Amino acid sequence: MPWGLLAPELGLCLWILVMLLADLAPATRKPQLSWLALGGIGFTAVLLAWQQPLWARGESFQSMLAVTHFSGLYKCFFTATAAVVVIMTRQFQRHLPAHLGAFYMLLFTALLGTFVLASMRDLLMLFLGLELLTFSLYIMAAYLKAEAKSIEAGMKYLILGSVSSGFLVYGIALLYGFAGGTSFTQVQNAFTYALTVPATAYAGMVLVLAGLGFKIAASPFNLWVPDVYEGAPTPVVALLSVGSKMAGAMALLQLLTGIFAPIAAFWMPLLAALSVATLLYGNLGALAQTNIKRLLGYSSIGHAGYLLMGLSTGSVAGAEAVTYYLLAYLFSTLAVFLVVIAASDAVGGDALEDYRGLSQRSGFLAAVMFLGLLSLAGVPPLAGFVGKLLVLLATVESGRLWLVAVGAVNVAIALYYYLLIVKRMYLDAPRQTQPIAVPAATRVTLYVLVLGILVVGIWQAPFLRWISAIR
Amino acid sequence: MLLTILLAPTLGALALLALRDDQHAWVRRIAVIATSVPLLGALYLATHYDVARGGYQHEVFVPWVASLGIGFHLGVDGISTMLVLLHALCGFTGVLVSYSIKERVKEYYLFYLFLITGVFGVFLSLDLFFFYFFYEMAVIPMFPLIGIWGSDVKEGGKVRYSKEYATMKLTIYLTLGAVVALVGLLWLYVSTGARTFDLPALQQALAARPLDASLQRWLFPLLLIGFGVIAPMWPLHSWSPIGHAAAPSAVSMLHAGVLMKLGSYAIIRLPMTLLPAGAQFWLPWLASLCVMNIIYGGFVAMSQRDLKLIIGYSSSSHMGYVLLGLACLTPVALDGAVLLMFAHGLMTALAFALIGYFYEQTHTRYLPDLGGLAHQMPFIATCGVIAAMASSGLPGFANFVAELLIFLGGWDRYPVQIICGVFGVVITAVYMLRVVRGTFFGPALPAFAHTRDARSAFERLPYLVLVIALMVVGCWPRPFLQMIDASARPLIEHIMPVLPLAAPAEALH
Repeated sequence: MPWGLLAPELGLCLWILVMLLADLAPATRKPQLSWLALGGIGFTAVLLAWQQPLWARGESFQSMLAVTHFSGLYKCFFTATAAVVVIMTRQFQRHLPAHLGAFYMLLFTALLGTFVLASMRDLLMLFLGLELLTFSLYIMAAYLKAEAKSIEAGMKYLILGSVSSGFLVYGIALLYGFAGGTSFTQVQNAFTYALTVPATAYAGMVLVLAGLGFKIAASPFNLWVPDVYEGAPTPVVALLSVGSKMAGAMALLQLLTGIFAPIAAFWMPLLAALSVATLLYGNLGALAQTNIKRLLGYSSIGHAGYLLMGLSTGSVAGAEAVTYYLLAYLFSTLAVFLVVIAASDAVGGDALEDYRGLSQRSGFLAAVMFLGLLSLAGVPPLAGFVGKLLVLLATVESGRLWLVAVGAVNVAIALYYYLLIVKRMYLDAPRQTQPIAVPAATRVTLYVLVLGILVVGIWQAPFLRWISAIR
Repeated sequence: MLLTILLAPTLGALALLALRDDQHAWVRRIAVIATSVPLLGALYLATHYDVARGGYQHEVFVPWVASLGIGFHLGVDGISTMLVLLHALCGFTGVLVSYSIKERVKEYYLFYLFLITGVFGVFLSLDLFFFYFFYEMAVIPMFPLIGIWGSDVKEGGKVRYSKEYATMKLTIYLTLGAVVALVGLLWLYVSTGARTFDLPALQQALAARPLDASLQRWLFPLLLIGFGVIAPMWPLHSWSPIGHAAAPSAVSMLHAGVLMKLGSYAIIRLPMTLLPAGAQFWLPWLASLCVMNIIYGGFVAMSQRDLKLIIGYSSSSHMGYVLLGLACLTPVALDGAVLLMFAHGLMTALAFALIGYFYEQTHTRYLPDLGGLAHQMPFIATCGVIAAMASSGLPGFANFVAELLIFLGGWDRYPVQIICGVFGVVITAVYMLRVVRGTFFGPALPAFAHTRDARSAFERLPYLVLVIALMVVGCWPRPFLQMIDASARPLIEHIMPVLPLAAPAEALH
């Protein structure tokens, strides 16, 4: 048995147990748990690095999971996200009640879920990975037990999430009925060699897409986003916004370029239409927001629109563009959320008005936020610009110029509401002037994220080479 | 050499990051160094451009993303050399003028130097990717620069346009224009099939296999409108006078002096160079639109009473001449258009610098409140009269030479538009003389008794630099025109022979 293929997953399982036991630590030692969690992330990263030579061989594990370059690349993305979320939790932890260890444990189970998704070769693994991820997030979203908003967020996420899981399972069942099996090879072969693809198989595919559309917050499955983003603890929101969206987009990428590739002509226009709806819903909805977390929620819907746009091309260039977009999105969104967490106590809340004059209280936090938001808006020389450019380029190549036009106009709409935040931070006078202290761990993480935003934006070649190796 | 010009402001900005917020003197010194190095570089370029050889010179090429055909390719021809020189002059004098900025000094120069870098990048890039990259990069720093250090436009004590409104309008207009142009660029990139963003390589590929004329007619307006927004092309100009008026002096100088030229430069460099059949088809429309620029902008300028709004509208009016010069598609008119970009840039920069100087002391730029400033500040008044004369196109200044060339070069093609354009000169003279009379002449007002002239050589330096540059080019335009002509003539010759080819292509469809 090639256990080496499962090494990172097994390492994560080990650390889930470690964190569970660590929760028994006395309350005074709890704040140190973040270092233990970071150690676990580091351990996973080491295992990934050790396993790296195996990626190129693309070996599979009982045709359920496979270790490929693609899965390895995305596991790196997820690990990096989890590391930043740990730092965020460290900054945020005084708000968290007891069971801090369990919170970190849930982070590791969520990470395990994304790892399973990255390696999946079977529809059952899709379901398993997705549920592992989503269940962890249900609990994490409702972690602030004393706050009604957090409970509401967890509840809404649970109910809508369960419905979408229902869609997913029903879709998988229909596909099983069509293909006679659940492994990707079987389903793909069934689509390739079927003389006529029955309507039930199309329905199965649409239901699976709906289930994943929930994860990436695509219209019309995004009604949960604003409330959950507003109510859930901010580190969880960051995990939802980056980890969960990345997992959904990655799963879509695998399914669309894999098992559903034979019926591309069917889903390409469908995704293009969804992309337009998602872009407009997210970006127009964001215009009217007064709470920064809600605003970022709507803006994350807008970003889902660009991801769908890239996916709708069905081309290799589109797949690479989506991956690059996610990489840029990862750095930018995490930077923005970390600033939100670092500033929220000092500025007194999450309302946009609370950010008035932030640049005069902490030039550093305001500058990072400025760069993060501009990167999300797609302004050079920042990472988000290259992501958007590649997505638009792939869409032009696919010939859907009207879609490119919608995407381009949305760049300007998005820039407007991001600049509204910048305006408050830089142009408006602060309500109070005492400087905001930024702890060293947060500061270093922010430096790393900003460096990432700049490097991914300016020096694209190594990342593009890295990404293009996924085929 | 080009790398030095491009990197000096960036390195300056990075050096600023290492300073404390209150080290104002050092911040300013670094800013002066970071802009004077490019100025020396630009002077070197202007004196070392080989007119006989023509084409792109001093090239720098670093492969960037091979799989997409992106290369970091810098180079200048006669047209961009002039604009690099213009930008270097405005950027340098702008730093000197900015000595009056007293609050949040470090942040100010950071954004300012990024703006300078972005604009140099556009003028130097020979790669569509980096061209757009720097173009967007130049637009964004305007937002904080105007928003933080700008001033509301007031009229009779009431706020007519707030600086927040002005800066948001400017940023959104320019970004919308930019994304429209981006769609055009990507479409162009894909439809040439050459898989390269490199401008000379694209020129070669298109010379070997030109795009279908009907496709060119679709692509051209995307690029024309996209870059036309910043030019500013009527009726998309409304962001510009308000933006000029709200910006701090140095930013108004750069904005009116250089940023607007990005639009006309981009139109020359990209759609006109790459899409000759599109240019054939659409530029006559532009010739008529820019008459609206000239006349409408002129009349609106006449009816304003805020000095910066007057100069702002006059800029959009004068940019109409530049666009008219492009649209004529004759070498002489194009030479004139490029020279006017240069001359108008210096003239407006001078005007905004002067307004900034006395606004700071009088705290008003409302024309009815001003008067008699020549008593207190003779030097500033002299420069003001010079700027007004240059703006009205009096001989001896570069503007005269440039406008004359446009009128002469365009006469055969668009006589009606040229006559309207000449009428525009009269309008300019009317409002410029009114500004000069209302601001500098008349009895000395007691309210302004405390004001003082620019006395030291250092205070006078920015104004003198701009005035001397205007007069040198005005009295001795020959070397500059030769340089421009070396690039403008081949471009026009490239566009014009396409005319007979366009007709049969159209017949096929």
